[in-house]
Amino acid sequence: MKKLWHALVSLFCRPAAKIGLGILVTVGFIAGVLSWQGFTSVMGVTNSEEFCVGCHTMQANLHELKDTVHWSNRSGVRAKCADCHVPHDFTDKMARKMKASVEVWSHITGEISTPEKFEENRLRLAQNEWARFRANGSKECRSCHDYKSMDFEKMRETSREAMRGAAQRNQSCLDCHKGIAHHKPATGNSRNPAFDGLMQAASSVSAKEGAVYYNVFPRTLYLDEALSQTAGKLEIAAAVKVLQEKGDAQQVEISAWRKSKGFGRVWYGHFGKNITQATLEKNVAQDAQRIKVTESREDPNTGLVWQKTSGVFWIKKGEVVEKIDPLWSVARDSYKSSCSVCHKQPDEAHFDANTWPGLFGGMVGFTSMDKDTQALVLKYLQSNSSDFKQAGH
Amino acid sequence: MHSRREFLKCLSLTSVAALVSPSLLLPRTSEAQASSTAQGTDAWRISGSHWGAIRARVAGGKIVEVKPFEYDKYPTEMIQGIIGLVYSSSRIRYPMVRLDWLKKRHLSDTSQRGDNRFVRVTWDQALDMFYEELERVQRDHGPWAMHTGLVGWRQTGQFHSCGNHMLRAVNMHGHTLSTAGDYSTGAGQVILPYVLGSTEVYSQGTSWEIILKETQTLVFWGSDPIKNLQVGWNCETHEAYAYLEQLKHKVAKKEIRVISIDPVSSKTQNYLNCEKQYVNPLTDVALMLGLAHTLYSEKLHDQKFLDNYTLGFEKFLPYLLGTGADKTPKSAEWAARITGIDAKRIKELARLLAKGRTQLIFGWAMQRQQHGEQPFWMGAVLAAMLGQIGLPGGGISYAHHYSSIGVPSSGAAMPGAFPLNLDPGKKPKYQSVDYRGYSQTIPCARAIDALLEPGKVIDYNGQKVKLPPYKMAIYCGCNQWHRQQDKNRMKQAFRQLETVVAVDFTWTATCRFADIVLPACTQFERNDIDAYGSYSGRGVIAMQKLVDPLFNSKTDFEIFKGLTRRFGRDKEYSRGMDEMQWLEFLYENCRKENSKKFPMPPFREFWKKGYVLFPAGKPWVRHADFRADAELNALGTPSGFIEIFSRKIANFNYPDCPGHPVWMEKSERSHGGPKSQRYPLWLQSAHPDKRLHSQLCDSEILRASYAIQGREPLFMSPQDARQRGIRHGDLVRVFNDRGQVIAGAHVSADYPPGVVRLQEGAWYAPTGPKVGALDTYGDPNVLTQDIGSSRLAQAVSPNTCVVQVEKFRGTAPAVTAFGGPQEVLPR
Repeated sequence: MKKLWHALVSLFCRPAAKIGLGILVTVGFIAGVLSWQGFTSVMGVTNSEEFCVGCHTMQANLHELKDTVHWSNRSGVRAKCADCHVPHDFTDKMARKMKASVEVWSHITGEISTPEKFEENRLRLAQNEWARFRANGSKECRSCHDYKSMDFEKMRETSREAMRGAAQRNQSCLDCHKGIAHHKPATGNSRNPAFDGLMQAASSVSAKEGAVYYNVFPRTLYLDEALSQTAGKLEIAAAVKVLQEKGDAQQVEISAWRKSKGFGRVWYGHFGKNITQATLEKNVAQDAQRIKVTESREDPNTGLVWQKTSGVFWIKKGEVVEKIDPLWSVARDSYKSSCSVCHKQPDEAHFDANTWPGLFGGMVGFTSMDKDTQALVLKYLQSNSSDFKQAGH
Repeated sequence: MHSRREFLKCLSLTSVAALVSPSLLLPRTSEAQASSTAQGTDAWRISGSHWGAIRARVAGGKIVEVKPFEYDKYPTEMIQGIIGLVYSSSRIRYPMVRLDWLKKRHLSDTSQRGDNRFVRVTWDQALDMFYEELERVQRDHGPWAMHTGLVGWRQTGQFHSCGNHMLRAVNMHGHTLSTAGDYSTGAGQVILPYVLGSTEVYSQGTSWEIILKETQTLVFWGSDPIKNLQVGWNCETHEAYAYLEQLKHKVAKKEIRVISIDPVSSKTQNYLNCEKQYVNPLTDVALMLGLAHTLYSEKLHDQKFLDNYTLGFEKFLPYLLGTGADKTPKSAEWAARITGIDAKRIKELARLLAKGRTQLIFGWAMQRQQHGEQPFWMGAVLAAMLGQIGLPGGGISYAHHYSSIGVPSSGAAMPGAFPLNLDPGKKPKYQSVDYRGYSQTIPCARAIDALLEPGKVIDYNGQKVKLPPYKMAIYCGCNQWHRQQDKNRMKQAFRQLETVVAVDFTWTATCRFADIVLPACTQFERNDIDAYGSYSGRGVIAMQKLVDPLFNSKTDFEIFKGLTRRFGRDKEYSRGMDEMQWLEFLYENCRKENSKKFPMPPFREFWKKGYVLFPAGKPWVRHADFRADAELNALGTPSGFIEIFSRKIANFNYPDCPGHPVWMEKSERSHGGPKSQRYPLWLQSAHPDKRLHSQLCDSEILRASYAIQGREPLFMSPQDARQRGIRHGDLVRVFNDRGQVIAGAHVSADYPPGVVRLQEGAWYAPTGPKVGALDTYGDPNVLTQDIGSSRLAQAVSPNTCVVQVEKFRGTAPAVTAFGGPQEVLPR
């Protein structure tokens, strides 16, 4: 072992005596050129579509791309696999290529070897790419499409509005343009894509203790910080006070009102107004230790007794945002476009908070809003109804 | 040519035969048919309409034949009126301006409105005048003075939906006075959210399949689905008829009891050959109270259901039992005196309803009357006492006669429409929202009151509304002069208007009483897409242009693009897209929304084939979720429960709509009611059998199939006819204090004594502009009264109307409704 070490040391450290320095340098240079050549051609080959679709699992992806404007268009510019999926500068490219070894591994193990298996993984794979694009601000897209070079005046009216705002915020392209080159994976029950943006915003919020936040999507409420015992559901756009954070969990306080008729499972944001905040499981709702009732009052409009209640629960971190406005903006857009297909949509303040559910419920079947959007739009209408705003009449 | 036609007929027959297979996907033969004939001058094209999907043959640039789309197994004969609609003598050929208005503009002599003298102008002239009026009214008055008429049953097609075009264009210019509610369900859609937590009238109902399986007693209460299901809000599929056919068989085999509660033997009753229960007109609430009283006194009501799912029954009981202020028990005997039904029979009926599974199906006619809120509310109370709301085949429905409700929804998304609103971030040219203290929105049925009683403050659904005396009105694809009650009062009111603009394809009475009339083309002269089945979501249908716009007509899209060009915003209006680009945009959006569950072909493929169909949805029970868990699935009422007593309504303190349903005498009523001495006959203005409201009245071929001596038929009983010396086919004069019309007597045993019917939508045809002028065709709204249902809904009350009928003597003036304006030269 020692001998080997000495031999190596002498090979590298002792000056060459038999071979001329020039020869050594030249041979070294040629060897270097050759290996660089090899390296770049390997890099080139692994960037080609042929290589990408060499794993037949990727063939469908190329096929999907071929249907899009990124493959064939009047200008004759084509974006190939690597143009979007491989970073263009050296360091990032190297990092990406190293990561790609995982993909080779998946190919060998056949993790996505059939179209069915690929479809099962499509969402996960897409999410990886979306996360990468979010992190680098869609850098690869922007090597061709740069905000600075866009002439907004040449855009269609609606595009102009959207793109100007995006440019001002320097928004990542993929925030909105998901599914632009491949089929967009189905996210759960084909959720309204507008929620993705809200959920992204929520994931980066660092909550201050004692401040009020708004839930961007219906979420599970838990009894414990380990998030193991469920307590019920926190409704969309519900307000919560964050008490503390522990690991992945946030402790929140919900203050609300509930009706005394029934089991007290449904909690509402305001006295006498049917704007839901949370729905609790029956045993939780009936648990006097956990649920504080501080006041009881009769609702003059129904004769039902309402109780002022509060409770402390746990939610997963990263599900709430600081301001309600972005939620309302999603709701408003959806309301205005979906509810004007057949008639002019009524002014939000045309009805009060308890009239909206009846009217909305009677008409929403005509729209294609999904359940969560329906809940958000209804809450928006109720929260901006004549109870909270000067009526439009 | 003949053999080719035969060949096509064979082909379509094969495709119908192939359809018998359970698959919804149509066989290849029909595809072959579409593609083999899509070129050349002789071609079959597909289109949709309120009356169903059609295939039309176009030869030599003319529509020569219309037949139902193969999927439609129960087509309506109304599609045979389509050719007559396109080539009607009433078509608006050119932009027209009323003679005196052309001379003096907004200072014209408005008492001449209705004299039908018009001058032909060019499109540029007409649109310039339209635009100049928008400018003048926004500048000199403000948004309160600009009224955009509520759009009703526009021609079908999601892109060309005319109301969206009008509202987007006019609202790009400035804010306007808008309306709330509608003419069909005005009282129902306001009362039911308080009671059942939803408008109900436009909601999907329990699936027919479940009704057929579970229901033991089915009550059609003033509901005539066989007549009314012929038309649909979007392209109608007529799928519900398959279930009604099964129902007919079940009735014949005595497997179900079906009772039609109606003064008249309806088309549905005759079709099903089911039982009939006569009731005096407008007394349904009294009958329901008598039934409720019987249920309670015989302990047949479901107290547990009332305790768990409703509020306020105890506050209603004193009224029902007569222990309250009026000291009158609403017993079967009490009800018998009002309704004309034996007390014994009322009690039997109550016991029958309580015996097995009972489904009540209400129509809309009984809420289109004074106190129209009450029958719908009391119906819910009756159903709550029976305790079957939310059970399969039990409870109450308010809409099974409408747009194939009861056919399960496929769940697929339907195509969106041309945007009605301004694009995000856009503001109108005139941004003023100064309504000078007037209300920005008024109940639609009070639009005439606003002109006659400017500044009047009225109650409306818990709010105060101040009526603005608007100066200009714009009606697009809506016939205000058909749906509004009391034409003579309306004539008076219209004199207050400075400028009226009407956009339509046919010269309705609204055009006659307008100043600027713009010719739109029909839906058969433009490309569009539509939902196939408003509720069933059966598919998406292509509306391929059959012929180019006739005469000088244009699409609403082109008309309003032209208007917005005048203030430099046409690009914003159209988003720089043309008709086909819009269709592709709307279709592809729909395709995207459906991509996961309901794959659709790309637009071009769809357009060529003409339709895409989705599989049937799952049967469904209305309110089942509420019954399963009333707390989590609370109703949309203030309390979340069924409100038999509404504190909210009680707190409004409206004498004509108190806190629980009550029987109230009407301002006029036949069968011994007020004014029946003088005018003994009840006039019902039901939805027509061979029209959609006033649509198709101008189709000569269809009109010929029901008109009598060229006039609208007045349906009446043999007894009433005999008493007045009237024979079937005679011309008659129908009159009361509000007006008079000529009609043709249609004597039918379907009608009991004291009841006559003029179908609404008969075109108004006055002899001249004078208030009180005789109507020569038979529009019932010459005779109906323009009063609000109550302070709550302020809805129309046309069915509260009594008349007298006599044989018309002398020479009847010619019908003036059809054939367009009298074209004159400017002097």
